Amino acid sequence: MNFDKLFSLAKEKGIEDLQIHYVKDNELEIEVFGKEVNKYSIASPSSLRVKGIYDGKMGTVSTEKIDDTMHDFIVDSIIDSAKFIENNDEVFIYEGDDNYSLVEGLYNSKIEDIENTKKINDTLELEKMVLAQDERVKMVQAFYGETKRDVVIKNSKGLDLKKTVNNAVFGAYVIASDGDDQRTGLEYIQSNDYKDFNFEKMAKESAEKACGLLGAGPCDSGEYEILLENDASASLIAAYLSIFSAESVQKDVSLLKGKLNTKIANDIITLVDDPFMKKSVKSGSFDDEGVSTKYKEVVSKGVLTTYLHNLKTAKKDGIASTGNGYGNGIAPSNLYIKPGKHKKEEVIAGINKGLLITSLAGLHSGANAISGDFSLQATGYLIEAGKITSPVALITVAGNYLDLMNNVVGVCDDIKYNFNYIGSPSIHIKSLSVSGK
Amino acid sequence: MLNKKLIEKVITKALSTGADFAEVFIEDKFATNLNMISSKVEKVNNSRIFGVGVRVALGYNSVYGYTNDVSEKDLMKLASDLSMSFNESNKTEFNGLNELEIGDLHKVKILPHEVSMENKVNIMKRADKSARAYSKEVTQVSIYYLDYVQNVWIANSEGKYVQDQRVRTRSGINAIASKGNEKQSGFYGPGGSYGFEFYSEIINIEEAANEAARIAVTMLHAEECPSGEMPVVIDNGFGGVIFHEACGHSLEASSVAKGASVFCGKKGTLIANPLVNAIDDGTIANAWGSSTFDDEGNRQSKRELIKNGVLTSYMIDKLNAIRMNDEHTNSGRRESYKFSPTSRMSNTFIDNGESTFDEIIAATKYGLYAKKMGGGSVNPATGDFNFAVGEGYIIRDGKIAEPVRGATLVGTGKDALLKIDMIANNLKTEQGMCGSSSGSIPADVGQPTIRVSSMTVGGRKGAN
Repeated sequence: MNFDKLFSLAKEKGIEDLQIHYVKDNELEIEVFGKEVNKYSIASPSSLRVKGIYDGKMGTVSTEKIDDTMHDFIVDSIIDSAKFIENNDEVFIYEGDDNYSLVEGLYNSKIEDIENTKKINDTLELEKMVLAQDERVKMVQAFYGETKRDVVIKNSKGLDLKKTVNNAVFGAYVIASDGDDQRTGLEYIQSNDYKDFNFEKMAKESAEKACGLLGAGPCDSGEYEILLENDASASLIAAYLSIFSAESVQKDVSLLKGKLNTKIANDIITLVDDPFMKKSVKSGSFDDEGVSTKYKEVVSKGVLTTYLHNLKTAKKDGIASTGNGYGNGIAPSNLYIKPGKHKKEEVIAGINKGLLITSLAGLHSGANAISGDFSLQATGYLIEAGKITSPVALITVAGNYLDLMNNVVGVCDDIKYNFNYIGSPSIHIKSLSVSGK
Repeated sequence: MLNKKLIEKVITKALSTGADFAEVFIEDKFATNLNMISSKVEKVNNSRIFGVGVRVALGYNSVYGYTNDVSEKDLMKLASDLSMSFNESNKTEFNGLNELEIGDLHKVKILPHEVSMENKVNIMKRADKSARAYSKEVTQVSIYYLDYVQNVWIANSEGKYVQDQRVRTRSGINAIASKGNEKQSGFYGPGGSYGFEFYSEIINIEEAANEAARIAVTMLHAEECPSGEMPVVIDNGFGGVIFHEACGHSLEASSVAKGASVFCGKKGTLIANPLVNAIDDGTIANAWGSSTFDDEGNRQSKRELIKNGVLTSYMIDKLNAIRMNDEHTNSGRRESYKFSPTSRMSNTFIDNGESTFDEIIAATKYGLYAKKMGGGSVNPATGDFNFAVGEGYIIRDGKIAEPVRGATLVGTGKDALLKIDMIANNLKTEQGMCGSSSGSIPADVGQPTIRVSSMTVGGRKGAN
């Protein structure tokens, strides 16, 4: 598409300022099942998001048909969009910052030089390794995924930014069965360096996750001391992401409203948003608005120090954007609870009656981001007298997210990130209400 | 749109190395998404989704690729790259495409692009006004409005060449009621395969908004739900989400063909209480999950999944049918050209029984009445499910008593099916978005009021 023509057509029709956000991906996906390649997918999708200020309002449009025949559709849609928006917040097309941090290690071309046949063979090999772990492993779906992403942002104020990131993931989804019971486990590693893929570790851990849970059933209802494993804790943070967004706060749909610079968590909790993390596709020196990104402790030793802002919400609060303008809203870059020093094994050894929770389900419905209340299906293990005794499933744990963050009594050293780069170590919680049998 | 000759060239190229099946899926979709919060229009966005997906298979093994660069050069390169996964001496013959067959079911009266943006925005304004007027305790209302026209062309090496237009319209209202620091929300989101006539002929947007407000206000005055094992009466409509998640997904070939479902090898056996009849029907006129053709170009159909408690049919797509050595059931669906199709539900529901709603409540001494279900999820391998109850009440001595909030239902699909011991005669369907390996697709869920004799209820009040 001829962008210059688009910019001049926009100007002609009365759009004051215009910005384009163009993304071109190259993707490879391999999935292996039953010693066969079950899925092999190659794709080169691209998308264009355009926004423009018309009569003081920000109009938006997006398209996957990206050629010169789309100019009128784009410009007319932006005007139609701007005409009906009633939110009177001041809107911005950003002229750019003087400096952008140099972020290294986001693109590693070496991974593309590796033949697809090797990637297929390694995926097949991973399946084989998982199957060999335990005779109760009945089925394995091993997978590999690779994405290269080129991003271009240009606007009528002269901003012209580019970045390229890439990332790959290997993983195994396991179904184990002992004849009576069937359980699942998932383990994966994300990186853009092929050397980071530790197949033995993935094979061992994914098989253990599924087999360990065989025979699980509900435990007695009651209050339990909890060790929330890294994956499960990260999934809970992900469910409560919106509470950190200044947009949610300003619209009164965040339970953190009015809590800035107050204690919202135990002193041992520090929550970091780190746009400079290596090997992550979420990293970069600028956000989607072209604002330079910043490392920040959103929660510092239990105190909420900032919300996540884009240009619009920052202006409203009279501060600078935190560089979290992603999509047409607000999102973190790489968000994680800073790991502590505790070892998981030590924490378990110190619990007399408790639960190790390895996964939570129902997060999109059972976790209320407005009240903070949650009631979630949990899976894990009973801890008795400092030892893991039996697997537990079909229970629910209930509580309130802020209460939980205040009741954290220990943070472990085993940080892990989900597919969206939300990370957490395992966290030790004083108690949660468990509903079982 | 691509011309027929080019599609034929792409299919020929895809078959050139010995694959026995090739398919081209072309999508051109216009969508409007609107959003309102705090009584102000917040987002007005048009979008155009456009691209081509190519699937090449030998037996049940397939490879998939997609692009939105649709020049002959790019498409031929994609077909060629995909064909490189095969190396067979036997070549499958392709005799060109048939005459284009155009989908003609689910006609709409007013296409979305014939309606001004102003009229669409007005739907949200009416909903907002109505929800706020419902009660002073309603302090926030957010509303979305969406419509789209998805045009697809599906062509394959068997000569199939079809075109289908799916028009869909939906609005969702989320009301928040508050009192002091307490906040509770209620949601209602009706939709269908309709154009803008949906708002004049099918629903009343004010009533829909009031329903969301009513739930929020009711829950604001509810106590925490007690936890423990108890009988649960799940009301008609969205209550069917439990069957959808906990049983429906396990009856999809994507799970059954791999032996990953608890219902593998159970065809012809009793898997539910004999009261239970369950149906997946993609032909219901203008229903949210209906279409003339499925996304593999086959005419949608009606599938009887469970008859008198006996498993009678899975939902099967073309390639899994080969893997299972069974017939496909016109169940191949996908979100967009970015996904290879697989077996999916359309409009799935438990059919009417013979009890009445009043009889079921009267027959329950103590239990939970789940009037509105929220979302939930299920592990298809284990059948373990969890669902949030959006609006719940305690049943005491055969009568609906105080409202309760924060309830979660936990169980396994196969146990719950066997424990359904009463089914009413008030079947109703509601709309949902169903997410799975071929993306997020519209699907109706539904049921009459049912009773499950015993279920684990999670709540914050603790055991009674």
